[in-house]
Amino acid sequence: MKKNKIFLQIIIILAVLFLLWHLIVRIFNVLEYILPGPLVVLNSWIENRGVILPNAAITLWEASFGFLIANLVSVIIALFVCFRRELENTIIPIAIAVKTMPIIAIVPLLIIWLGPGLSSKIAAAALICFFPALVNILEGVKVLDRKMMWLFRVYAASKFQLITKMIFPSILPYLFAALKTSSSLAVVGALISEFIGSNKGLGFIIISNFYNMNIPLVFAAIITSNIIGISFYYLIHFLEKKITFGQERIIME
Amino acid sequence: MAIIEVKSVTKEYQKGFLALKDLTFSIEEGNFVCIVGPFGCGKSTLLELIAGIQSDYKGTIKIREKNPEEARLERRIGYTFQRPTLLPWRNVIQNIMLPLEIARVKDNQRAYNLLGMVGLSHLAKKAPYELSEGMQQLISIVRSLVLNPDILLLDEPFSSIDEINRTKMHLHLLKIHQQTNKTTLLVTHSLSEAVFLSEKIIIMTSNPGRTKRIIEVNLPTRNEEILFSEEFLNYLKIIREELKNEEK
Repeated sequence: MKKNKIFLQIIIILAVLFLLWHLIVRIFNVLEYILPGPLVVLNSWIENRGVILPNAAITLWEASFGFLIANLVSVIIALFVCFRRELENTIIPIAIAVKTMPIIAIVPLLIIWLGPGLSSKIAAAALICFFPALVNILEGVKVLDRKMMWLFRVYAASKFQLITKMIFPSILPYLFAALKTSSSLAVVGALISEFIGSNKGLGFIIISNFYNMNIPLVFAAIITSNIIGISFYYLIHFLEKKITFGQERIIME
Repeated sequence: MAIIEVKSVTKEYQKGFLALKDLTFSIEEGNFVCIVGPFGCGKSTLLELIAGIQSDYKGTIKIREKNPEEARLERRIGYTFQRPTLLPWRNVIQNIMLPLEIARVKDNQRAYNLLGMVGLSHLAKKAPYELSEGMQQLISIVRSLVLNPDILLLDEPFSSIDEINRTKMHLHLLKIHQQTNKTTLLVTHSLSEAVFLSEKIIIMTSNPGRTKRIIEVNLPTRNEEILFSEEFLNYLKIIREELKNEEK
């Protein structure tokens, strides 16, 4: 019942927004190349779905691959930090350096290094995800219970057992926070790198149609990328609900 | 025969802080022994040394002729911390099975038997957060027994539990001790806890931690009534005097 209510709320809010958008365009007679109405955008989406969908698939692929790499690397680094706390002081400045490099400036370099194909886009998505993912997961490592670690020591547990039975389940809520924050960023990373150097992907569709003043298609592509970002987020949210139960009470086995 | 032997143990922390100085005592097989002492007298440090969690000390500690590190690696030590350390994502029985899994002992029945022995089988499927802190500690103690260790080390397990419930936990603990006859070393700052539970009390003093006196406790029975008996209060008085003298 509660779920249905939330769903209904979302539908209503979206409907109101679209109606408002429609009315503004109608009442003020806004030109199509400045702001196309929602129906025009929808029409453009349907007409161009043969272009949008395959390109959306490419963007999704780049974003998810970059997202996975960033989170995997973050988890591995966090596990190292578990056993060598002092490493954190070295890793954080490097991560901040990565974070503060403007992605727009890095992408041309990535294209030179990795070529104009998928790998430079994946790298851009991974780079933009890396910092929030790492910071979140490291936060989980910081709050690891020292006495719990000692408990495993008393039982002469191996490092592998410590990781699988204690560390990983403990940092799971933080890992999910990392996955959620980085999911939408990954899409942004992929889009930006497609803007700069690509002949496929949603970013390319947006930028090329912008130059051609085909604004309805630009909007259709933007909304598609929104949908990708939102679905990505909710997929992770759904997984989190499946694996965790209640507040931080994780059921693993 | 002594199962735990502590001889001239001195532990110094890096900054020159002397936590323990020249500590000597031994514990017989099957005994229930308490270490009492004021806050910061190094009781917990001593327990961690015996458990092999901390090393780097002077003197000798032997558990059945083995040093603590060896005993720990052979999983001969049961240990319960001051706070419950049940994994929140596992239920009670899964928590008790944890040491079995780590030691790759494929005998989960042991966990059920042990829980049954203390009369807590009905809690098997409960999540830790559904239990009171006292019960969580009791489950932690049961867990530390599941690998059938040589000794059981308890670090102030009931320190944050109210008086009434604490007595209940004490009775549970005594029952566990009777049934398993496991050599138990419990650290506490509660004098009444020490007198109620143990056959022998090691009184420690602080700065640095030393053994002040070792007294044998001979109570005819251990139930709630004994808490108000003259004998019981006498023991309390003796320990109190010892600790007070030290403060002067």
